Amino acid sequence: MNFIGVLAFIEKETSKMRHLGAQILFAPWVSALLYILIFGQVVGQRIGEISGVTYIDFVVPGLLMMNIMQSAFGHASSVLYFNRFIGSINELITAPFSYFEIIIGFLVSSLIRVLVIGGGVYVIALLFTVTTVNHFFLFLFYVISSSIVFALAGLLVGLWAEHFEHLAIPTIFIIMPLTFLGGVFNSIYMLPEKLQIFAYFNPFFYFIDGMRYSMIGISESNRTAGILFILTLILVLGAWVWKLFKIGYKIRN
Amino acid sequence: MEFAIEIKNLVKKYQNKTAVDDVSFSVKRGEFFGFLGPNGAGKTSTINALTGIGQFQGGEIKVFGFDVVKDYREARRKIGLSPQEFNIDAFVSPRDTLYYVGGFFGMPKKERVKRADSVLRELGFGHEADLPFRALSGGFKRRVMLARAMMHNPDILILDEPTAGADVELRHGLWKILSDLNKKGKTILLTTHYLEEAERLCDRIGIIYNGKLVALESKHELIKDGKSIEEHYLNLTTNGATQ
Repeated sequence: MNFIGVLAFIEKETSKMRHLGAQILFAPWVSALLYILIFGQVVGQRIGEISGVTYIDFVVPGLLMMNIMQSAFGHASSVLYFNRFIGSINELITAPFSYFEIIIGFLVSSLIRVLVIGGGVYVIALLFTVTTVNHFFLFLFYVISSSIVFALAGLLVGLWAEHFEHLAIPTIFIIMPLTFLGGVFNSIYMLPEKLQIFAYFNPFFYFIDGMRYSMIGISESNRTAGILFILTLILVLGAWVWKLFKIGYKIRN
Repeated sequence: MEFAIEIKNLVKKYQNKTAVDDVSFSVKRGEFFGFLGPNGAGKTSTINALTGIGQFQGGEIKVFGFDVVKDYREARRKIGLSPQEFNIDAFVSPRDTLYYVGGFFGMPKKERVKRADSVLRELGFGHEADLPFRALSGGFKRRVMLARAMMHNPDILILDEPTAGADVELRHGLWKILSDLNKKGKTILLTTHYLEEAERLCDRIGIIYNGKLVALESKHELIKDGKSIEEHYLNLTTNGATQ
């Protein structure tokens, strides 16, 4: 195992947070602040309680998960695509790395970005409410597992993309709609009855609901099924990414 | 005789096109080997197969006895590659680029810092070492490519047109650096379109044309009939090779 190599790769990719802080860190923090301020405070005060908690406490776990999903996906897809685009992916390919080590490097650097962004969002939330974490290990599980799932999805898109615009397509047409329909801002019981069943087929719902349970103890899904589903996603996406790296899909000619 | 590079019956195909067709040659330890050929002849495909950037469909490649597929970690540690295109993050400085690449090859932090400093000094970097890559002149960009290849102190340097686009002064400077590296024991495989460069630097020359190796001789053997390398090259890559 090339430990030093993997650490150097992680260090290289996470160092970009220093150079591109405004884009990578402040943009999601400002947007989280606005969401919490407008939805949590302004609109939330008129909504009242949901499942026995104030609206702002209900929204914060969803917002946190939304930022985790977007930052893990964004980091992995953009870093891989950028490395392919300028050809610096060859620095990794010509170095003594296995494909598994390269993938681990991408996943860990995505996780670090998630922790920095998520940590910031959590601190912002603390300015408005006493955000609790009821089940710490479950909370940790959802943070790490969702980072892995969305970083793996990001790697698939980073391999597939031919243009910079391709990176935005999954975010606009898949991640954002499924996040919003997955219960970030509302209980699924607030949806029209006929639409509620669709929420259970939305994979994002299990991430958001699980995070909400770990933080404030409220859940609207079968958590065991949700956890099994998340673990299955990690295995399937992980195997898919590993296979594509192994055959050199769009990275080796 | 220990070989730095052994390529046997290499075949590289892109869909229906055979880019490298049953090519075999070896490069001795400490040799300065010129690998010549026109654009699209198969030089870069061969280099890609050797360094892991490209896959190949047939044959075997060994680097100091290590198979580049089965023993890829050992093989890659032996090689430093300076590719044709600038493929360095434009926002990262040469010093940081070397620091990270040294890490990729397993060098501990302190050693990386020291080695980067020494390589940058050897290649004539001053304050340029800390400028972002995009702010460097063409000459310094070329030097960064070479510095990156040298960073982990490999036994073999593979240089794919290292002086492309360089002005005369820089080219002569790079020749001196390459010549010194070779004298210090580095094996060098060089591709170039400047035949004068090959004639000046290389001990032995291979010429590839249409994916086939059409010449493989020592420089002195090649030019002993009084013709220049350029004359031989033109003869082999235009009318002679296909007969």
